[in-house]
Amino acid sequence: MPRRKDIKKILMIGSGPIIIGQACEFDYSGSQACKALREEGYFTILVNSNPATIMTDPGLADVTYIEPLSVQMVTEIIKKERPDAILPTLGGQTGLNLAFFLMKQGILKKYGVESIGSSVEAISCAEDRELFKKAMQEIGVDVPKSGIATSVEEGMKIGLGIGFPLILRPAYCLGGSGSATAYNKEELEKFLAKGLETSPVHQILVEQSVLGWKEIEFEVMRDCADNVIMITSMENVDPMGVHTGDSAVVAPAQTLTAEEYTNFVNLSKKIIRRIGISGGGANIQFAQNPDNGHIVIIEVNPRLSRSSALASKATGFPIARVATKLAIGFTLPEVMNQITGKTTSFFEPTVDYCVFKICRFTFEKFPRAERVLNTSMKAVGEAMSIGRNFKEALQKGIRSIEISRFGFGADGKDKITDEMLVKPENGLLKVIKDKIRVPNDERFFYIRYALKAGLSIDEIYELTHIDRWFIDNMKQLVEMEEEIKKFRSHKPEDEVKVPYELLLEAKKDGFSDRQLGFLLNSKEDKVREARKKQNLLATYKLVDTCAGEFNAKQPYYYSTYETNDEARPSKNKKVVILGGGPNRIGQGIEFDYCCCHAAYALKEEGIDSVMVNCNPETVSTDYDTSDRLYFEPLTFEDIMNIIEQEKPMGVIVQFGGQTPLNLAVSLRKAGVNILGTSAESIDIAEDRKRFKQMLHKLDLLQPENGTAFNFTEAREVARKIGYPVLVRPSYVLGGRAMEIVYDEEKLEGFIKEAAEVSGEHPVLIDKFLEDAIEVDVDLIGDGETFVIGGIMEHIEEAGIHSGDSAMSLPTYTLSKDILEKVREASYKMAKELNVLGLMNVQYAVKDEKVYVLEVNPRASRTVPFVSKVVGVPLAKLATKIMLGEKLKNLKFTQEIIPKHVAVKESVFPFNRFPGVDVILGPEMKSTGEVMGIDRDFGLAYIKSQLAAGQNIPSKGNVFISVRDKDKRAIVFVAKKLQDLGFHIYATSGTAAALETSGITVKILPKIAEGRPNVLDLMKDGKIQLVINTPTGRIPRQDEIKIRSQVILYGIPYTTTISGAQATVNGMEAMLKKGLGVKSLQEYHKKAKTKR
Amino acid sequence: MKAIIMLADGKSFSATALGVKGEAIGEVILNTAVVGYQEMMTDPANAGKILVFTYPLIGNYGVAPKFNESKKVWLAGLVIKEKTRIYSNWQAKASFDDFVKEQGLLSITGVDTRTLAVHLRQKGQMLGIISTESFDPKDLLLKIERFRKKQQESLLAQISVNKITHLGKAKAKKKIAVLDLGITRGIVKQLETLGLSLILLPYNTSAEEILRLKPDGLIVSNGPEEDSGLDVVAENLKRLINKLPILGISSGHQVLARALGAKLSKLKLGHRGVNYPVLSRAVYKGEITVQNHSWVVDIDSLNKIKGIKVTGFNLNDRTVEEMESKKMKLLGVQYYLTSPGFNEVNPVLKKFIKMLN
Repeated sequence: MPRRKDIKKILMIGSGPIIIGQACEFDYSGSQACKALREEGYFTILVNSNPATIMTDPGLADVTYIEPLSVQMVTEIIKKERPDAILPTLGGQTGLNLAFFLMKQGILKKYGVESIGSSVEAISCAEDRELFKKAMQEIGVDVPKSGIATSVEEGMKIGLGIGFPLILRPAYCLGGSGSATAYNKEELEKFLAKGLETSPVHQILVEQSVLGWKEIEFEVMRDCADNVIMITSMENVDPMGVHTGDSAVVAPAQTLTAEEYTNFVNLSKKIIRRIGISGGGANIQFAQNPDNGHIVIIEVNPRLSRSSALASKATGFPIARVATKLAIGFTLPEVMNQITGKTTSFFEPTVDYCVFKICRFTFEKFPRAERVLNTSMKAVGEAMSIGRNFKEALQKGIRSIEISRFGFGADGKDKITDEMLVKPENGLLKVIKDKIRVPNDERFFYIRYALKAGLSIDEIYELTHIDRWFIDNMKQLVEMEEEIKKFRSHKPEDEVKVPYELLLEAKKDGFSDRQLGFLLNSKEDKVREARKKQNLLATYKLVDTCAGEFNAKQPYYYSTYETNDEARPSKNKKVVILGGGPNRIGQGIEFDYCCCHAAYALKEEGIDSVMVNCNPETVSTDYDTSDRLYFEPLTFEDIMNIIEQEKPMGVIVQFGGQTPLNLAVSLRKAGVNILGTSAESIDIAEDRKRFKQMLHKLDLLQPENGTAFNFTEAREVARKIGYPVLVRPSYVLGGRAMEIVYDEEKLEGFIKEAAEVSGEHPVLIDKFLEDAIEVDVDLIGDGETFVIGGIMEHIEEAGIHSGDSAMSLPTYTLSKDILEKVREASYKMAKELNVLGLMNVQYAVKDEKVYVLEVNPRASRTVPFVSKVVGVPLAKLATKIMLGEKLKNLKFTQEIIPKHVAVKESVFPFNRFPGVDVILGPEMKSTGEVMGIDRDFGLAYIKSQLAAGQNIPSKGNVFISVRDKDKRAIVFVAKKLQDLGFHIYATSGTAAALETSGITVKILPKIAEGRPNVLDLMKDGKIQLVINTPTGRIPRQDEIKIRSQVILYGIPYTTTISGAQATVNGMEAMLKKGLGVKSLQEYHKKAKTKR
Repeated sequence: MKAIIMLADGKSFSATALGVKGEAIGEVILNTAVVGYQEMMTDPANAGKILVFTYPLIGNYGVAPKFNESKKVWLAGLVIKEKTRIYSNWQAKASFDDFVKEQGLLSITGVDTRTLAVHLRQKGQMLGIISTESFDPKDLLLKIERFRKKQQESLLAQISVNKITHLGKAKAKKKIAVLDLGITRGIVKQLETLGLSLILLPYNTSAEEILRLKPDGLIVSNGPEEDSGLDVVAENLKRLINKLPILGISSGHQVLARALGAKLSKLKLGHRGVNYPVLSRAVYKGEITVQNHSWVVDIDSLNKIKGIKVTGFNLNDRTVEEMESKKMKLLGVQYYLTSPGFNEVNPVLKKFIKMLN
């Protein structure tokens, strides 16, 4: 049926900041949707609080709002724009929930807005546990035994009735947050209380556990003519008990019979029809008893999801695009399949390869968190790999997740060596068994150890419930290791001599040259040499949706070792863009944004773009972002194979974050042309010694510093420059293992950890400038002209990782003089490094002096933020510069200082790691960012807080507890709060300081000393804001308790004095002026006319 | 054991044989389904073919007698990418290896099936030979040529029941005769579910004999294409049209079309898989169907026949998928009438039963 003509304006809701459970997959789906809507001529209005997204690029929607995703703000937008319809299915759970609340509060009805894609009824049916259960029973689909509780007592009754173990799921929570497994009465009670709090509707599902069952997912789509298609099946390698977002997953399912498969399809079709989705897609999760095939349904997502993004990338079928077309009234037969160019979307994709998804965790960032996986999602990112068999996909997957591993072990980095496993001691055996029994992020490696230690497939199955088929495949890899080892070299320099057949088998099973080098007592380059000599080269196959049945028009590629290479490198000029790999803390969507812009810029210049990335959530791995996409791990071997195949004029390493940058040197050594700033300059910036020399030459200041390879050296340096010092490894991103150290004892501990992360590079030691203001500068240069994109002032003081700090553009407290110094220093360094492309500098300002902290000759995390605020696509311009363009021609020669203010705020995953303290430090912990934009700093800041999920109050009680140092500064904050009508609560120390200044304070007892204390008040909902700065290096237990309760009850909080000041400023602005909305296009228009 | 597959145009792939030795020649066909290897191997429609699975991982869930679509494997040979080492499914009774050995099927693994598939797409389906004995290209090509020239014997006599067989309920409201051209278990099971009385007929049962049995309707089953035995069936059907309601399934649909006077044409690459979209004209609602055929009914020749309407076509290449005549009470479907799951009955079978009234 043709598209709907009764609607003209459509509002799309994005998913907000990147958080655990909701990553850039919704940027991918949202951008695809925007394009799909505009193709049909609809006027699109987009709202998202995340500036690092492609979807919020001003060109994608007609009107773009970067505003908090709250009912209040979206209502304002609806009032202003008066859309006919809202498309809530592409913005993750956030978008769906928001639409649902807009409906519940009558706003959609009031303004005559229709929900398309998924009707409000469909959303309710899938999301409301009771309705869902009823609906499933109606169509004869079993659900696990369960009951819904709205109180702990009710939950206990239901739970004891069903029997342990029990799964608890709070309603309307994304990524399974707050989900838990209870094995006994005590746990049940504990988790019920927690879950009820987590659920926005105070509802929790108490459910029969299907722990250890197979977890099977199906991705289905349905149109308004009732056509239903199956996109793919997926089988979780980790059985039920591990959140699907944390599980390794294969597509298609590997261990289902045809009959079972058909039955699952049959159920899926019934379910999507019953739920009532009539123009979109759904992800359906089942559990299946492996002993008798009994199927129960776990849940349905009536929207685009992480799994649907994976299904889309795994098959080539653009689910988001098609879902959008269906939402506006098209039927599947009317929507073309752009991959084949011959078939329509009324066609079920089929594959001739095995897809593996594996997750990236960051437990190392949260040392206090328990390193186990359960039903609450913890992964921050994922990688997808494709192979012609499971073994190949598994090994490629492991080397894709950027954990410095090169496959399924056997890469010289195994914690337990083969020797230890020949006759393992009982103690070791116990460790291994425990590590495979309790799911965790290292489980696959421990399964390998278990296999080597002689555990049988059945034994491992009993411990893990991972299907025997997967375990046997892993066993085959272990056996292959032994075969390869037979050909070990005597000396690493010797030529590699492995029979062709065996080498080919090993490559077909996904062994990397690095692994083979290790197994053969040789080196990666020796293996590569030997391979090339025997003409044993990677071949490329297609993701074409049809297993080769049609000659695909727009496919993408994966490597394997087969007889024929199907890559079709064009004769055009081309450039390879190296992507950023899986999301992790420190490297996320911002870099993908830049890579996409590089592709867009290449297109504009008429040069073919060749993208290499392995992150299925991203826009960069969308089939139409680049001219050719290689879905491959970002390692030297995999990249070189592509470069040798494509023979590009150059490679862009500046945009994918640290992953490609780390490869710059070895790629250059291999003769690859690195576009933009030279590898030499990159080295100067990264090498402390050379960097120091440069600063000296340019007469720029730097905190006193030194480098060290061991503790003795470090102690020397620290004594010389004086404590406190900042220690960190070189060549890392996200402040990994970075720490502020106040004494020698601590120094020793940190040097050890830092040395481990840094490897052969030295550890850096800097004088730490306490209470300095940090400044970030993004700059673009073409070798002749250098222009500052933006100068950002951090709100939190120095010592907090720049990725975790809130920052303001333009700056809000810096003097003209300081700004001039910052500009001068930036231009000097840019010239010296001959920057071709982007550069980011971090400064600390203290006592009117400007210190250079670090220089990164690459796109920084703030590039998308700056680009959106000033209205200049910096990454795109940088790409053109790398191709030889000049800023003059590109008409960007002058820094733009915006008249409006934008604040970028970070978003943290603390709620996923119970017990972890929420204070900030030099090690980055945030997963994502939001932006608040308005006419002044106060309003912009408060919007950024609202967008970050802080439920900023307009009245009520504030609890204040600060360290001695902050007591002077807090007086002003408290005074203002009082003036705004808030009541102040404090503990005795802080209270004394406030009372002296004439502020009325209610004194609360210390936690150990009496009740009701602040914890009780928080629980009762009597505290609306918490200001708590940590007392020292080792926070007191009381503080940690307060701060973890804050997370539990979702109370807005701040842990820095500068944050507190900004917050009250913002609250004042909000209360006095109110919050309005304004689109990016309006801001940019204004900026242009003023320029 | 070393093996080779060579195509008639000289393209070859090295491989490893799975236990069974020898040589096999046949037309090389592809199937793009991800699951269902046992069902495809035992489908009589594939008799005499060399079957290539495009899905690379085969044997994962083992085999079980209940998944057989007929009494045995009818293939000449089987080509796969990777055979599993262990199987894992609660229903499995034996391994894929045992099954292949028990069936004496010449099967080869380790083949770059993707490249083979793309080659056939580009060049069209052709004959091929699998061998564990000869690796000499000339010799192999010669064998293919000899095979091509030899008159192929009809396999229907072996495939079809050899005598009239009663199945289903002895006394039911409706009695259906099924001309067995290689019927699959799945269809028999659905017909049984419908509570019908079934008479399974040898493929060459005469029109008179069929009418004498007084069935309420006749189903002409799926089975192999291009079999010389089908000529007899077409002749018999000519005498049955207008005498009783007839449903033709897949190759049965083709024979029915021939009996009506339509022509068949061969596809460059067959439709074999589980993802084929079928749509009716001017209607947006269609079905995703299972297909297994290389021939289609020529649409122009069909349009010339009075009273016959083409009611469904393949959305990918617009070939004929369904024909119908309300007046003559005829129904023909090119695709397979598989159960949608849980042994529910395919709507077309239900439609045909309605037609009987």
